[in-house]
This record gives sequence, C-alpha cells and structure tokens, in this order.
Amino acid sequence: MQTKKERKPLYALLIEHREIPLLAVLVLLLVAISIRVPGYIPKSYMNVLKNGSINMVMSCGMLCVLLVGSIDISITAILAFVGCVAGKLMGMGAIESTFLMFVLGIAIGAAIGAINGVLMSYGRVISIIVTLSTSYIVRALIPMSWLMGMNKINPTDLTPSFASFLTGNIFLGLPLLVWMAIAVTVLTGVFLKYTRTGRNLYAVGSNAEAAQMRGVPINRIKVLAHVICGATAGLAGVMWLSFYNAVEKGTANGNEMFTIAACVLGGVSVTGGYGKITGVVIGAVMIALIDNAIPMLGIGNSMITEFVKGILLLFAILLNVILQRIANKQDLARRNI
Amino acid sequence: MKKVKSFLKSWEFFLICLMVLVCIAFNLKDSANLAAGLAKKDVFNFANIIKSLRPYMLYSFMTLGMMLILALGDMDISVGAIATLSVVVLAVLYRALTVGGMISGLAFALSIAACLLVGVLCGAINGILVTRFKELFPMIITLATQLFFRGFSYLLIGGETITFKDDTFGLLKNLNSLIDCGSFKLPVMIPIFLICALVFFIVLHLMPTGRRIFAIGTNATAARFSGIRVDRIKVGCYIVAGLMSAVTGLFFVGATSSSVKADIMDGYHMYAIAAAVLGGFSTDGGKGSVIGAVISLFIFGIVKIGLGTLFGFADSSVNLSVGVILILSVLLPNILEDVRNAQRVRRQRAETAAH
Repeated sequence: MQTKKERKPLYALLIEHREIPLLAVLVLLLVAISIRVPGYIPKSYMNVLKNGSINMVMSCGMLCVLLVGSIDISITAILAFVGCVAGKLMGMGAIESTFLMFVLGIAIGAAIGAINGVLMSYGRVISIIVTLSTSYIVRALIPMSWLMGMNKINPTDLTPSFASFLTGNIFLGLPLLVWMAIAVTVLTGVFLKYTRTGRNLYAVGSNAEAAQMRGVPINRIKVLAHVICGATAGLAGVMWLSFYNAVEKGTANGNEMFTIAACVLGGVSVTGGYGKITGVVIGAVMIALIDNAIPMLGIGNSMITEFVKGILLLFAILLNVILQRIANKQDLARRNI
Repeated sequence: MKKVKSFLKSWEFFLICLMVLVCIAFNLKDSANLAAGLAKKDVFNFANIIKSLRPYMLYSFMTLGMMLILALGDMDISVGAIATLSVVVLAVLYRALTVGGMISGLAFALSIAACLLVGVLCGAINGILVTRFKELFPMIITLATQLFFRGFSYLLIGGETITFKDDTFGLLKNLNSLIDCGSFKLPVMIPIFLICALVFFIVLHLMPTGRRIFAIGTNATAARFSGIRVDRIKVGCYIVAGLMSAVTGLFFVGATSSSVKADIMDGYHMYAIAAAVLGGFSTDGGKGSVIGAVISLFIFGIVKIGLGTLFGFADSSVNLSVGVILILSVLLPNILEDVRNAQRVRRQRAETAAH
C-alpha cells in the first residue's frame, strides 16, 4: 500500500497542482531576466509587488466570480467610479478619516456587485452582458453633473495622511499596500478552502443542478460571488486613489482583461468549479513581473509587453490543456493494463 | 393572419417599436427646443440623422461577423485587435513599398490585399485554436489572441502614428464620403453595409449553411452526429469574422483621415457584441436574426446622435444609454416569460379545480 502511494506518477501530480508548471515558468522567467539584467530581483522586487497588488486584490474577487461559472468585466469601471466618488467626497471635506474611505469604497463596490449578481442570477441574463452594461453605465455616471460631476481627482483633493497612507506606512519592510493585498488574498483563500459558503462556490460552479439538489441556494451563492467581486473592486479603487493619488473617468480602462488573465494563467477554469488562490497569486505576480521587467530587457520597443503577455497567456492555457489530455490518455492506458 | 400575429410577437417588431418610440421622443424634445428658442432650426430630421450616422456605422461590419460567432454559441473578443493589426499591416506595407519606389497605385492595391489577408489569417488562427482545443472557452482563447494581435501591432509600429497625405492612400477617404441624393446626403458606408447585410441574411437564413450554423449553436454534439462538419464551419465563421474586422479597419482609416495608430479600435468588440445581442442574438447560441441586428445598429446610432445633439451629453456619457438598453433588452423577455409561465400555471390550477 505504501509503495503504491509513493508511485504516484509525475503527470498526476502536475494535474492535481496545475500551478506547478506555472511556477516553473515563473522561475524560468526570473532566471532569464536576472541573466539579462544583473541584480534585477533585489533592485525591483518592491516595484513588482507594489504595482501588482491592486491587480491581485481584484483577482481574488474575480476568482470567486469565475468559480461559480460567471465573469465580471465591470471591475475596472467600479474601480474608477469608487475612486472618483471617494476622492470627490474627500475633496469636498465630507470625509476626513482614511478608514471611512475604505469602508465607503468597499460598500459602493459591493452594492454595484450586488446589482450585477441579482441581474445575473435572478434575472437570468448572461453575466458578460450584465457586467458589460454595468461597466458602461457606471463609467458614464462618473462625469454626470447631478452626481457631483467628478471628471478628475487631483492629489490636492486628498488629505496628506490618506495620500501617503498605503505607501508611507511601512511594516516589516513592506508598505501597507502590499500587506493589504496579502490580507485580502489570505482571507479569500481561507474563505474558499475552509468555510461552508466557500465550498458552496465550488459546488455551484462545477454542477449547479447537483448543488441545488443538496440544498445549496445557488442564486444566493451567485449573488454573493458578485458581491465579493464588487467589494474587492471597490477596495481596489480606494487603493488606486491612495497609491497613484489621481483617478479620472478612463482610469484602468481595459485592465479587467489582465485580471482575468491572472486568474486564467493561474489555472482557474472559466466554466467554473476549479481554481485555487495559489495559482491566482502566481498568475498575478507573473503579470506584474512581465509589466515591470520587459521594458528593462531592451528588446524591441517598450510596447512589446502586451505581445509577451499575449504569447505567455496563450502558452500557459494551451499547456494546461495539453497536460490534461496526456493525463487522461495515461489514465486510460493504465486502466487497460 | 397567423403570420401577422407571429410578426407582432417577434423581437424585430419590438425593435422597430423601440426605434419609433426613440424617434418620437427625440422629435418632441427637438420641437420643445425650437419652441423654447434654444435652437435655431430642428436638428433631429432625417437628413441630419443619415448624415451623422457615419461614425456609428464603423463597427457595423464587425457586428456582421460577430453575429456568426454568437450564432455558433461562441464569443470572439479579438475582433477589435484584428482590425487594428490589419490596418497597421496596411500602413506599414504601404509605407515600405512606396519608400522602396513602387508605383503608389500598385502598392496601394497590394497593401489592401495584405490587410484583408491579415484579417483572414487572424480569423483562421482563432478558429483553428478554438476547434483544436475544445476544452477551453472560446472567449479565453480570443482574450489571449487579442493581447497577442494588439501586441503584434505595437511590435510593428510602437507608439507612433502613421499618417499618409498622398492622393492614392486618400482613396480610402472615399469610404467616408457622402452621396448626394437630392434632399439628403447618404453616406457611402450605408449602402455597402446594407448589401453586406443582405448577403449575410441570405447565407444565414435562406441557405443550408445558415441552418447548420444555428444547429451547431443549439447543440454542437447533435449537429456533429447528424453529419454536419462542425469544425470546418466553425473555422469558416471565424475567418469571416476576421475578414469583416479587416473591412471595419479600412473604413476606420477612411474616417480618421488616413492616420494609423496601434491603440485604435480598442473596445470595439464590446460595441459589436452589444449590437448583436440587442438584435436578438444570444451568447448561448442558436438564435438571432440579421434584420434584428441591423435595426439595433440603427437604434444605437440614433440614440447616440439624439443624446449627443439634443441633450448635449458627452460622447462617453452616451454609453449610459447603451448599457441601459442592453440590460433591458435581455431582461425584459426573461421577465415576460416568467409572467407568462405564472399565468399558465394559474390557468392550469383553475382548470383542475373546476374539474
């Protein structure tokens, strides 16, 4: 029995932990960059972490949404909206406390996420259509004159303590920005792995009908996933405001694709039911690393980043499929013998 | 009589009603503006609408391609990037050939051919990847290829803007010109688009190929067992979508005074999807009609023009209406269906109680 357990084949391990090949690619990438740019890691690990943390926070929410077999492309619109509302309120002097800003951001984000979720689950509208529409609506609401008319938030609108809150406070060598991303990641991981509601997300995503038979309220779970996603997007909006000190109407337009890309790179299934937080972390780090490192390599022009991202994403998802196929074939072959 | 009744219940009729309602609302606002002395003459008339439809008809060709993909039950979000890449190839090739000393006419023809070829090739890449890797969602594959295509166009020209001033390249501007039709001016784009739409209508609704496409969208496995070459048709659809994207790119260059950048037409896939979905296509596949999509394209155009000129909304704020229309167009039929089901249940209960 013992020996049989030890002889678990390598490919099975790879399939069980889809993030291992990804980790290998990440290490390879790091080695390649370090050879090309000596001393890259100690020099710019901080920048990678800083620039990646907002995407990381949003990826946690996106993971929850993808797990129930849905998708949310309104996150960056929520980010811009929340950033503008919070910044405007602070500029008008309505809010002074930094803590209240974060609470407000998360609340607004969660509310928009709830609208998404209700329309998607109870209204039976396909999630991509719902979130596409809400992203149009939310982004269009930003410059409306009856809603404060916030076209642009400048650093002068912010209180000094808020403007330096995430980057100024350093704890154990890392700025609060990174700690916040770590906290959200750990919370999401624990929620998905150890709570009943978290496991229900997987159940709904892998087989909604079976989940309903077992008494899982699928519509409520779907709404919950969208609420979590909206809340993380709202948090990301306030983080963005505190990190870059400026938000405008078009902020982060199109970045939702990179959030989805981080999840997909991390092995999350888009049809729902499969995905781990560790994979998403690796995916997000990879995206941040490419963003940061490619311009330093000195190949081609500085615009090559997108190209590399596209190739890498394509490569990673195809590799996943091919590995799965090999595993299936081997499994069949073993059963015949 | 039955035909009339089924027409009144159809989605196209609802869209026509929506268009008429929108027009009436805008006309009322227009006359109110006139009466209040805010405007000197009426802005919202037929000639003006037709003339100002031009910028909103750019993505109509893309929508035609997207219809096929949606009918299959897939989604292609790389169409905008394909359009960009094909236009970038057009510009780069034309510049290289004319600098190399080729006659500008020949160079132009070659570049146009290359542009369309790039569209076809990109579509073929999408199609082959989608049919070879069936485990993956087409949306994810096209997300990756979108980054790839856009990145490739950045690779070719970087951040620069290529502008051509010569007459031969200026021929593309003809695509954006107006035909004088007496009382109003008709953009060249609209007849070309309508002819294309007619071709799509014939193929999708009157020919076996179209029935096959809808069959695949409804149930791909059943379609395969009934002898339809699913993979071949899918690749074909993706190729057509790529080709239509390249055509959109040509019109875009014509409309923007022959300048080409690598970040143009970002987000056009969303406009195309929005128009097709309002037209009755579903991302689940298997349903939809070309007529509905054409009507919804015009609705979007009219709404944008009306909100822009009459209410003075900024161009981006007009997206608000697009979002609301889009959500309602999918939500309303669902609610209606729920109500109808509830009524049927109640009737059945009443019948059983009566017995």
